[in-house]
Amino acid sequence: MLSTSSKRRTAKQPRAARASTKGDTRAAFLFLSPWIIGFLVFTLWPVGYSAYLSLTDYDVLNNPNFVGLDNYRQMLSDPKVSLALGNTIFYTVFSVPIHIIAALALALLLNRAGRAAGFFRTAFYLPNMTPPVAVGVMVLLLLNGQNGLVNSVLGWFGIQGPDWTTDPNWVKPGLILMSLLTLGGSIIIFLAALRAVPEELEESAKLDGANAWQRTLRIKLPMISGTIFFLTIVNTIAAFQSFTEAYTAFFGSGSSTYGNDAALFYGIYLFQQAFTFLHMGYASALAWLLFVVVLLVTLIQVRLSRRFVYYESAQP
Amino acid sequence: MTIKADNPTPPSVPQPKAATSPTPGQPEIRRKTSTPRKVSTGRKTATIATWLALGVVTVAFIYPLIWLISASFKPRSEVFDNRLIPATFAPENYVTVWQDAPIALWLGNTVLVTVLAAVTVTISSAMVAWGFAYYNFRGKNLLFGLVLGTMMLPGAVTMIPTFLIWNGLGMVGTLTPLWANNLFGSAFYIFLLRQFFLSLPRDLFEAAKLDGANNWKLFTHIALPLCRPALAVAFIFEFQASWTDLMRPLIYLRDESTFTIPRGLKAVLDQYGFGGNWHWETIVTASVITTIPMIVLFFIGQRHFVAGIATTGSKG
Amino acid sequence: MSAKAARTALLSVLSVAALALSGCATGQANHQTTSSSFDSSAQLKGKLTVMGFGTGDEVATTRFDNAKAALSGVQVNLLKGSLDIQQFLSSVASGQSPDIIYGDRGQIDSFAARGAVIPLDDCISGEKIDTSSFRKTALDQVSLNGHVYGIPEFNQVEITMANPVLLKQAGLDMADIDGSSWDKITAASQSLSKTKDGKLAVIGYDSKLPDFFPLWVKANGGSLISDDGKKATLDSPEVVQALTFAAAIYQKQGGFGAVKAFRDSADFFGKGNQFASNTLGAMAMEQWYVNILNDVSPKADVDFTTFKDRQGAPLSFSSGSAWAIPKGSPNPGAACRFAKSMTSTDSWMKAAAARVQAREKDGKPFTGLFTGNQMADQKIKDQFVKADPATNWGRAIEASYTANESSFAYPANPAGAEFKTAWQDAVNHVINGQDQPASALAKAQQVAQKALDAGWAQLNGAG
Repeated sequence: MLSTSSKRRTAKQPRAARASTKGDTRAAFLFLSPWIIGFLVFTLWPVGYSAYLSLTDYDVLNNPNFVGLDNYRQMLSDPKVSLALGNTIFYTVFSVPIHIIAALALALLLNRAGRAAGFFRTAFYLPNMTPPVAVGVMVLLLLNGQNGLVNSVLGWFGIQGPDWTTDPNWVKPGLILMSLLTLGGSIIIFLAALRAVPEELEESAKLDGANAWQRTLRIKLPMISGTIFFLTIVNTIAAFQSFTEAYTAFFGSGSSTYGNDAALFYGIYLFQQAFTFLHMGYASALAWLLFVVVLLVTLIQVRLSRRFVYYESAQP
Repeated sequence: MTIKADNPTPPSVPQPKAATSPTPGQPEIRRKTSTPRKVSTGRKTATIATWLALGVVTVAFIYPLIWLISASFKPRSEVFDNRLIPATFAPENYVTVWQDAPIALWLGNTVLVTVLAAVTVTISSAMVAWGFAYYNFRGKNLLFGLVLGTMMLPGAVTMIPTFLIWNGLGMVGTLTPLWANNLFGSAFYIFLLRQFFLSLPRDLFEAAKLDGANNWKLFTHIALPLCRPALAVAFIFEFQASWTDLMRPLIYLRDESTFTIPRGLKAVLDQYGFGGNWHWETIVTASVITTIPMIVLFFIGQRHFVAGIATTGSKG
Repeated sequence: MSAKAARTALLSVLSVAALALSGCATGQANHQTTSSSFDSSAQLKGKLTVMGFGTGDEVATTRFDNAKAALSGVQVNLLKGSLDIQQFLSSVASGQSPDIIYGDRGQIDSFAARGAVIPLDDCISGEKIDTSSFRKTALDQVSLNGHVYGIPEFNQVEITMANPVLLKQAGLDMADIDGSSWDKITAASQSLSKTKDGKLAVIGYDSKLPDFFPLWVKANGGSLISDDGKKATLDSPEVVQALTFAAAIYQKQGGFGAVKAFRDSADFFGKGNQFASNTLGAMAMEQWYVNILNDVSPKADVDFTTFKDRQGAPLSFSSGSAWAIPKGSPNPGAACRFAKSMTSTDSWMKAAAARVQAREKDGKPFTGLFTGNQMADQKIKDQFVKADPATNWGRAIEASYTANESSFAYPANPAGAEFKTAWQDAVNHVINGQDQPASALAKAQQVAQKALDAGWAQLNGAG
């Protein structure tokens, strides 16, 4: 996926030293044509039209009605926008670091498991296969405050668990907890990165008398800092757009009038505005705000990474 | 050993230098032989602690799934009893859900959409990836930058105009919008497959060219067969993504008879759940039916999942 | 793939794309409904696509078959599943309207405001639909600016349900929890509610928020909206007081979160339901639940009475469904006759007879049918209902009929979903402990009024 390091690498890639020919160009564009068409029809035009729609009042049934910046003005005063944005940022700020730390810790453990690593890797990845809809269902079942499994287990240790599914203070922590079920992918990536750390480095550190903890901290972590950065960005972008689990568990077209605001993520509010209330113009404006926020956050992360990430490819 | 086991690459093919462009067959998850064992008590406790931790985490990861499957065999009143073995065995849940909801139809729709989505995206992405990998032409870096750039764009921005396109074509309510975008390739797979194509030695193609192979033949007869493992990765990833997608079915499907299985599960949840009056046994059973095919897919394609994910990370 | 073939493929894809781009405009164009005449004697033909209706029981199937027979020559096609607003509106937008829809009466108004359903005045006069037999509250719910947009079908009413054994243990009776005294409900709830090991074991009284909030407001003599449907009155003292009371019921039982989590894990539709398992003291609940209880636990300790306002008069909040004809309906003539047939007194009588027969076969009592057609209701009651007030099920039937006669509805408004969302959010914030009643409702008032203004502007603009 996208990150600066990948761009950097591809840019540095030595190309087959061969000038481009006319025939080459034609053939290349034939092969690229699916993507070019798709890009024009399903990316470029939508981006432009979305920008236009964000300046209109449009409900699909009637023609778009140009309203200038009204939608953006309305966003500023819409308490649900700040609520949804706040929920999403809360979720992202807590879930991403927890995700990264937990995945890294488990990968380090797995790295010590020798031949059995394969078995555990399978076990850790399996819940990743659970469709997010089913995860949403499990949120309601496992986290039920009165009779759910999680609180029953907490009960063994004398802890009275909270009402995860109904208490607004605990709804997001509950969703974060359930999101840990999908750690598997990151664990595999970390494990692969850890195994790519040259053995010689560790050996020489060992000779220098570094203990296991120091070796992890001083050698392994810096060596896989690129992977940490990559996963942080990918997970941040994903967290900002999270939708399905929370939507399944707390929203929907059912006759219920109880929806927990605490789970109203930005993606859910946008979806509701677009497809439940058919405020397509307003929803388009919301989408652009999301785009700007995600872009800013990513840029900040990229900047920070320059200080902390060690690039193998940057070495002579 | 991961992908390489069934890689038809002839042994004579030289591997590219890993530092600049690791092959998708990499990183090879091979446990380096550990240093001769020094048996100390400190080390022993550490090992025991490692295994204990891995065991606990494994249970935490796997138990929710087992809980779900177990609950699907319980009568309504016992769903929340958190027993592993149902006190009352209620296989009739599966009959009930089958009668109450057109599960067979939903499964059929899902299989159709999923297969079409996975096949089309694999082929189209491979074409585009090949175009980027093999040919030299002006503006190539710019175009490839655009491909990567589309990954940064939150889906929310293009969601509404894309809906309007399908709406204008009169295809809302059909299964087509769920997969047809895949005809145009997908940035992530293009990136993945391009990396693989880049790792193939150019001489191979130049030789075939001398034998009179045209551009299309180079792609279909040499490039594609050589990168079967990478194609499998793209196919399997998209299969999972498409199977578990909820957002698009929510946007595009109207009639119960066209639902995919996650959309159907959400409908079951809305119908039997919200309003505060839950038919848990039906919901749980439908969740299990939605999940099982993914677990089967995982065990069939486990190698590819692990290899594909690990590769994703190493490119980051 | 030769270059030529590729070019052809490219061209065809591009033309599809071009079609896609231009096609976006077509959705809006064809809203003109063919001014088809609604004539009760006309011979109908063609197809009729019905959206949103389910034929789950004999009451539905009997009338559906009856309507199909009344539409001889028309091929009736039923799209199953309950009405999904987004799906329906997008089908209208894309010019693929179904012929007729079945939805919640509260939804029909907002469809009307968007111009997604057509006024039925011509349909009613052409097909000679006898609107005088319809319940006025039901008809009002689907009327805007003097036009009727829906033909009412079911009528849903609420009654009070309670566990007499638990009441007795606490030294209480039905009069303590029927709503006539809020102080008594509060006291009763506290003495009925039980906790065990820090967890809720018995819910004392369930005020069924947020769903039943309109009922509590009305019981307090208030209203959520002015009589003309134009002004939101969410911040009025009666509304604030009602929310304060109904939310406090939960606060005194460990909070709404605990009550809801406990309620969610209950076996609502099974033989381990809250009454059979003695885990609920009392609640206000919709009438259909009587049938469920009677089916799954006929011997459970449960008793029924009407829900009363604070003056002690029976009260119920009428909600229910209605038929409406979408803009762009290809076969509005057939749609109109279908709606007429589904809701005719004759059709309801046949359905009731089928239900009575089905119940008798199971050895169970017939608990009545509650429809938007009051003439049908009366005839069904006279002919089929045998309520023995000495039994709890007999009292349930009596209470239901009393409730049906005492039902009220809030005036129709074109803001529908947004208006509802506004007050629901306020209620949810209060029961979740995120806000106080007065401030939550003051915020909701602003949102609701804005939605109402926009809705009326849209309706008058579209009209």
